[in-house]
Amino acid sequence: MVEIALGTALAAIGAGVAIGFAGLGSGLGQGMAAAGSVGAVAEDNDMFARGIIFSALPETQAIYGFLVAILLLVFSGLLGGGQGLPTEAGIVAIGVGASIGFAGLGSGMGQGMAAASSVGAIVEDNDMFARGIIFSALPETQAIYGFLIAILLMVFGGILG
Amino acid sequence: MADEIATLISSVGLTQETFLVFCIIAILVVGAVVVIITSRPILDIYPYLNPSARVRARKGRLFDEKQISEIVETNNIEEVENYLKGIPEYADVLDEYPLDKALDVERANTYGFVARLAPKDIKDPFVVMSKKADIDNIKSLLTAKEVGLTADETKELLIPCGSLYGDLESLADAENVTDIVTSLDNTEYAQALEDALPQYEDTKMILPLESALDKYYLGKLLRSTDVPSDENKQILYSYVGTQVDVANLKLIIRAKEDGLDYDAIAPYILEEGYQLREWKLKDLMESPDVTNVISGLEGTKYANALTDAMPVYNETGSVAVFEKALDVYTSEYSKSLASKKPLGIGPIIGYLSQKENEIKNLKIIARAKREADFPNSKIMEMLI
Repeated sequence: MVEIALGTALAAIGAGVAIGFAGLGSGLGQGMAAAGSVGAVAEDNDMFARGIIFSALPETQAIYGFLVAILLLVFSGLLGGGQGLPTEAGIVAIGVGASIGFAGLGSGMGQGMAAASSVGAIVEDNDMFARGIIFSALPETQAIYGFLIAILLMVFGGILG
Repeated sequence: MADEIATLISSVGLTQETFLVFCIIAILVVGAVVVIITSRPILDIYPYLNPSARVRARKGRLFDEKQISEIVETNNIEEVENYLKGIPEYADVLDEYPLDKALDVERANTYGFVARLAPKDIKDPFVVMSKKADIDNIKSLLTAKEVGLTADETKELLIPCGSLYGDLESLADAENVTDIVTSLDNTEYAQALEDALPQYEDTKMILPLESALDKYYLGKLLRSTDVPSDENKQILYSYVGTQVDVANLKLIIRAKEDGLDYDAIAPYILEEGYQLREWKLKDLMESPDVTNVISGLEGTKYANALTDAMPVYNETGSVAVFEKALDVYTSEYSKSLASKKPLGIGPIIGYLSQKENEIKNLKIIARAKREADFPNSKIMEMLI
C-alpha cells in the first residue's frame, strides 16, 4: 500500500467534497434547466440555441469544484509526486472542499431553477431573454464566494505557495 | 500544530487511520443530510419543468388583445377563417373542417395535449377533461336522432376526437335515441344514461340524458382530484371545484329563470360541490327566483361577480349576464391560480384557461359575423 501522510489524505477528502457536492448541485441544476429547455425546443425549434445557453449556465459550479479539487490534489502531493501536506493543512483542505462544495451545491440548484423558469418565460415571450439571463446569473454569486474563499484558504492555509 | 493535532487524536484513543475513517463517515453523513434536504424541493418541481415549458410556449402563441381586435374588425366569416388560416395552431384544423368544427377539434386537441403531458400526480383530472369530447359527441348523436337527421348529417356534427369517436361514428345510422343509449352499454357512460332513459321515454325530451352526462362528467372531474396533499393538488382542486360550482350555479340560475322548483332542478345538480356544498345548493334551489339565488350567495366567492351583474340583469332581464359574469370570474380566478406555482401546475392551468377563453371568444365572433351588420362594439362587449 502507498504511504500517504494524514494531511494528504485529508486533502483528498477535501478534493472529493469539492467536486462531489459542487458537481451534485451543478448536475441537478443543469438537469432542471435542460428539462425545461427540451420542453421549449419540442414546441419551438428556434429555442435550441437559447436552451443550450441556459442549460450550460449551471455547469460553472462543477468547473469551480473541479479546479479546486485539482489544485488540492496537486499541492497535497497526490498528483505530481510533490511533498505531502502536514495534518493541519489537511484539515484546512477539508474546509476548502466544503467551501466550494456546498456553495456550488446551493448555487447550482438555484441557478437550475432560475434557468428552467427563464426558458419557460422566453419561449412564451422572446423579449424575456436578456432579463432571463440576468436572473439566472444571480445565483452564480454564491459559487463565486465559495470559490474565492476556497482559494484564500488554500493560499493562507499553507496549501498554495 | 501538527504535533498538537496528533496528540489530540491519540489522546482520545484513535489511530490516524481511525481518525480518517471518522472524517469520511462525518462527511458522508453531512452529505446525506444535505442531499436529502435539498433534493426534496427539486423532486417536487422536476416533473413540471418540461410540461411547463411546453404549455408556456403555446401560451405565448395565444391571441393577444390586438389580434382579437383585428379578428373582430373583419367584415365577414370568410375573413375570420382566412385570418385564422394564417395562424399555425388553427391552419391545420381549418384545412380539414369548417370553422365551428375546427374550433371544437382544436379545443379537444388542447385538452388531449395537456392530458398527455401532465405529470402523473395531477394527470387524472386532465384525462377526465379530455373525455369531454366523447360527451359532446354523445350529446350531438342524441340531438341528431331527436330531430331526425340522416346518418351523414349526424356524422357532420361529430368532433373527430376522443376515445369513442369510432364507435360513435358507427352509431350515426342508429334508429333512435334508445338504440344509441343501449349501444353505449359497454362504455363508462352506460349507467348514467340508462338511469335517465325512463325519464326520456316518459317525456321524449333528451334533456334528462344530456343532464345525466353533464352530472356524470362533473362528478368524475371532482372525484378525480384526490385529497389535496401538496400545493399543486390544492390549486388543481380549487380549479376543478370552481368549475363544478360554476356549472351548478349556471344550471340553478337558468332553472330559476324558467320558474322550476327544487324537485325539478335537484336531479340535475351535482350535490358534492366545492365551495357550494349540498346544504347551500339546496338553499339556492329552493329560492323563489333569480334575485334570491344571487342574494343567497352572499359570503361565497361568487357573490361579488354576480352582484355586480345584477343591475344589468334588472335592465335586460337576461340571465346571460350572470353566465358571462361567472365565465369572467372563472377566467380571472384561473389566472390568479396560474401565478401561484410558476414551477408547478400554474402554467398548465393558465394555458388551459386562456385557450378555453380564446376558443369561446372565436366562437362568439364567428356567430356574430354570420349575422348581417352585427356591430363590432357589441361583439367586444360579449367577449370574455
